[in-house]
Amino acid sequence: MSTNFMWWCAIVLEIAILFRGVRTALLRKYPLFYAYIACVLVLELARAACLASAPNFYATFYWYTEPLTIVFGFAVIFEIFRRPLIYNPAVARLAQPLLVVVFLLTVTYAASDLLNSGLLTLPRLTAELGRDLRYVEGTLLLVMLWLFGRYRVSLGRNFLGLVVGYSLLIGLGVINLAVFFLPGNEFSIGLRKLLQITYVATLLVWCCALWSARPDPVTQAESSIERDYELVAAKTRTAFAQLSTFVTRTLRP
Amino acid sequence: MTGLIPILVLGTLILVFAGRLVLQSSRSSCKQPVTIEDFSRSRAALDSVFIETMAIRRIFAAEDMDYVSRTGTPDVQSLFLRERKGLAIRWLRNTQKQVGHLIDLHLRLASCTYEPSARFEFRLTINYFYFVFVTNAVLALLWLRGPFEAVRTVTYMLDATEHFCSVFSIRLEKIDPAKLTSEREAGMV
Repeated sequence: MSTNFMWWCAIVLEIAILFRGVRTALLRKYPLFYAYIACVLVLELARAACLASAPNFYATFYWYTEPLTIVFGFAVIFEIFRRPLIYNPAVARLAQPLLVVVFLLTVTYAASDLLNSGLLTLPRLTAELGRDLRYVEGTLLLVMLWLFGRYRVSLGRNFLGLVVGYSLLIGLGVINLAVFFLPGNEFSIGLRKLLQITYVATLLVWCCALWSARPDPVTQAESSIERDYELVAAKTRTAFAQLSTFVTRTLRP
Repeated sequence: MTGLIPILVLGTLILVFAGRLVLQSSRSSCKQPVTIEDFSRSRAALDSVFIETMAIRRIFAAEDMDYVSRTGTPDVQSLFLRERKGLAIRWLRNTQKQVGHLIDLHLRLASCTYEPSARFEFRLTINYFYFVFVTNAVLALLWLRGPFEAVRTVTYMLDATEHFCSVFSIRLEKIDPAKLTSEREAGMV
């Protein structure tokens, strides 16, 4: 009963997020994120239809479609990477090689883990693949969060909500999956419920943060006379600063 | 079970970093883009650190202690030591704060540079963590043994402070003023 309630809550929230995305034009701003929400919504509706019409086929259908949601989750990671770094090209240039290295390392770790696990049934194989992909996502997200924090990258309210919601989903999801795969916990109903609660909480965060469109924190106001004057003044100050450094260095005993 | 630890650490770190991001965004200073005024203030802060660092070497000069030991009474020696210790600790804390402020500005200005370098940033991070560790160790040493027993570590600290000033000076030279906004514009954002 409570599982069904959570399920329907999630579907309602996903529809609300998509609806508000269209109304506020945030859909155009964060297309990959909304594609992820749409994908999850379509899969959930398909699963609900499958459960109602062919309950015996539900488990197979679920395990076949589960990796798709995780793969679409990478679209959110890409969105998180792409959007704020438009205004911070210098940080983006630093982040790119770091992310590539982290991605390759985590994929290697996940692949070796999967290869060492031997012959598995389809649900188990899918679950383990999903878990390993989640680890890759988690590592990439961690690097991005660290970079945002370290370089004080300004995030608007919409984007901050998107990042915080996804961090909640991935952070708790990764912890949950790790505990889930411990011997004896495979059939834990509590852990399954916790995953559902986490997902609904994430959707609530997204729904609140993306309810209305907020401006980006950094906007370049250009081409006013004052702006030109300040630019010239700043350039002059830079020249003076360089001169002052040179003089200080020269005078130092 | 041991394989589980890195995964749990990963999940926990994601939640902690996300929480930190929310805290950072809620502080008003982080909402503002870097302004021309920030840039000017950072120059002033840098110059003051340069000058202070050169002047402060005198607090730890062994010649002063030698002179007081030769000519002063035990009371004078004790007063001299107490005052120098207090002065040294105050200077140390102030230096920690100033370097922290410079690093903060350095990071905020990172997106305004012409040529960011991953190696440079990585080395700076390592140097800064090392600096924080050493300054705290020096602080403990000053408390326990007084200013004249910690001369070698203090010399390292002074050199490190000068290094940070130079690094920061290089960063300021590479700032592209076109990417800075004025405080008035920042207020409108």
